[in-house]
Amino acid sequence: MKALQWQGVNKLAVGTVPDPGLRNPGDVIVKVTRTVTCGSDLHLIGGYIPFMEKGDVLGHEFLGEVVEVGPDVKRHRVGDRVVVSSFISCGRCWYCDQELYSLCDNGNTNPAITETLWGYAPGGCFGYSHAMGGNAGSHAEYIRVPFADVGAFTVPDEVSDERALFASDSASTGWMGADLGGVKPGDVVAVWGAGAVGQMAARAAVLLGAERVIVIDRLGNRLDQVAKHIGAETLDYERADVAAELRERSGGRGPDVCIEAVGMEAHSPGAHFGYDQIKQQLRLQTDRPIAVREAIHACRKGGSVFVLGVYAGFVDKFPLGALMNKGLTVRGAQMHGQRYIPMLLERMAKGELTTEHLATHVMPLDQAPEGYRIFKEKEDNCVRAVFVP
Amino acid sequence: MGRTARALLIVAPIAAGTAVVAAKRRSGRSPSPRRTHVVTVHRPLSEIPGSLEELAKSVEISLAPAPGDRGTEISVRIPEGSPVTDAEVRRALRETRSLVEVGDVLLPSGPPTTEKTPLNRPLRTATEHGREGGLL
Ligand SMILES: NC(=O)c1ccc[n+]([C@@H]2O[C@H](COP(=O)([O-])OP(=O)(O)OC[C@H]3O[C@@H](n4cnc5c(N)ncnc54)[C@H](O)[C@@H]3O)[C@@H](O)[C@H]2O)c1
Ligand SMILES: [Zn+2]
Ligand SMILES: [Zn+2]
Repeated sequence: MKALQWQGVNKLAVGTVPDPGLRNPGDVIVKVTRTVTCGSDLHLIGGYIPFMEKGDVLGHEFLGEVVEVGPDVKRHRVGDRVVVSSFISCGRCWYCDQELYSLCDNGNTNPAITETLWGYAPGGCFGYSHAMGGNAGSHAEYIRVPFADVGAFTVPDEVSDERALFASDSASTGWMGADLGGVKPGDVVAVWGAGAVGQMAARAAVLLGAERVIVIDRLGNRLDQVAKHIGAETLDYERADVAAELRERSGGRGPDVCIEAVGMEAHSPGAHFGYDQIKQQLRLQTDRPIAVREAIHACRKGGSVFVLGVYAGFVDKFPLGALMNKGLTVRGAQMHGQRYIPMLLERMAKGELTTEHLATHVMPLDQAPEGYRIFKEKEDNCVRAVFVP
Repeated sequence: MGRTARALLIVAPIAAGTAVVAAKRRSGRSPSPRRTHVVTVHRPLSEIPGSLEELAKSVEISLAPAPGDRGTEISVRIPEGSPVTDAEVRRALRETRSLVEVGDVLLPSGPPTTEKTPLNRPLRTATEHGREGGLL
């Protein structure tokens, strides 16, 4: 079958690979009908997460049709139209019981790498390096989905492929940021990053009853989408002093909840961008935490900061003093998709949550390397490139 | 610094860890006193799971109820002179947890789509022993 493969740092190509087979009795094979780029992939492609092997298949946000079912699968049949959580979880361990699905004890076949790096190993993910299990990704004609009863969800007839696709990763991630960040009615919420993840976090905050939701970015088209499709306010960090604006728009208190949806390749117009970039390139720090620093500083006393952006290792100049003295709660997580996907599909069916606008570019899988180039450069107002295998 | 060197800087400590495990296994020297390896399985257990029976001949295994309804703590101590390695114990405990909780042990995707290169050799070595390393 055809698949998009990682061939080296900043090198992608569509190649031919063997079709995936059932490996465990709880697996299904899904014929991928739509699969999409994610900001997380950029960290892999650029070599910031150095656990890729030549030939690895990328992709973790996808939708498709079940074509083969393992003997232990109970909830799915051949022909089901399913959207699949990007994280692979067993559904039976203590973490899955607590609905902390991305922390599953049994979903990563290579726990040694991340256990050594971080103390304990989170679960596995599709197409997300050997540190996350080395699972073949979704930018392919077919994909094997382990623990299918737990991670694959039948899409209701009322929800289109175009909309349901984003329940797989970006919408569940965004919802988690607002939910576990503790957004309540009456809150002022600030979101850094107007990519698909930041937009979905902002929409979740709106639906959870926040009084004001403010999304920060510099890309005009993304901020226009926020105003038009998300129903939130915008803030261009190249034209305004973010901290001062947030202070003014929150009655001088500071946002109650700050959600960071930027990640380790954050950009900044200020001097610390050069500083962070050089340190990252010299591997003196692995990540650029510009938006996290800003969120911690801007947050109100006793407020909450949720880190959705992906980080791999160590950062520099982490504002520990602000965190401690302002009594902040700082939390982060990889997405617990299984916890949110059924609810998101219901909201999608009711029209409360729309996502079609995120798919600014739709193209055949053959053009995926070009799709990633456009996505990475944010060229032609690209927000997400969707591939149709 | 080139890309290769950069990638290796981060991968190297992990590969080195794996190499140490492999070297220990090969050397006939009597091992230094080892730690106890413990996992919690999210189920009540009254006897040693079948998947640890073979190992139980050469190590000391004990079970204790975990606090807060978290299941059972399985501890394995490797006695002086036992032929069993830490790596084998880690793998057995991780597989046992999955067997007890899920009834199965997740296999990696297959068939593989990757190509062996000198650059990914340390990573391949680490993943071939994916359940044997780490801190457990
Ligand atoms: N936690 C999870 O499970 C999970 C899941 C999906 C994605 N992610 C992560 O979320 C992050 C965002 O993902 P995405 O797909 O939306 O990425 P994206 O690249 O499409 O969007 C990132 C946005 O951040 C903006 N940005 C850069 N620097 C900024 C700054 N200093 N302040 C404000 N905005 C800034 C960029 O202009 C861009 O619009 C990535 O790090 C991704 O890895 C995490
Ligand atoms: Zn993602
Ligand atoms: Zn689990």
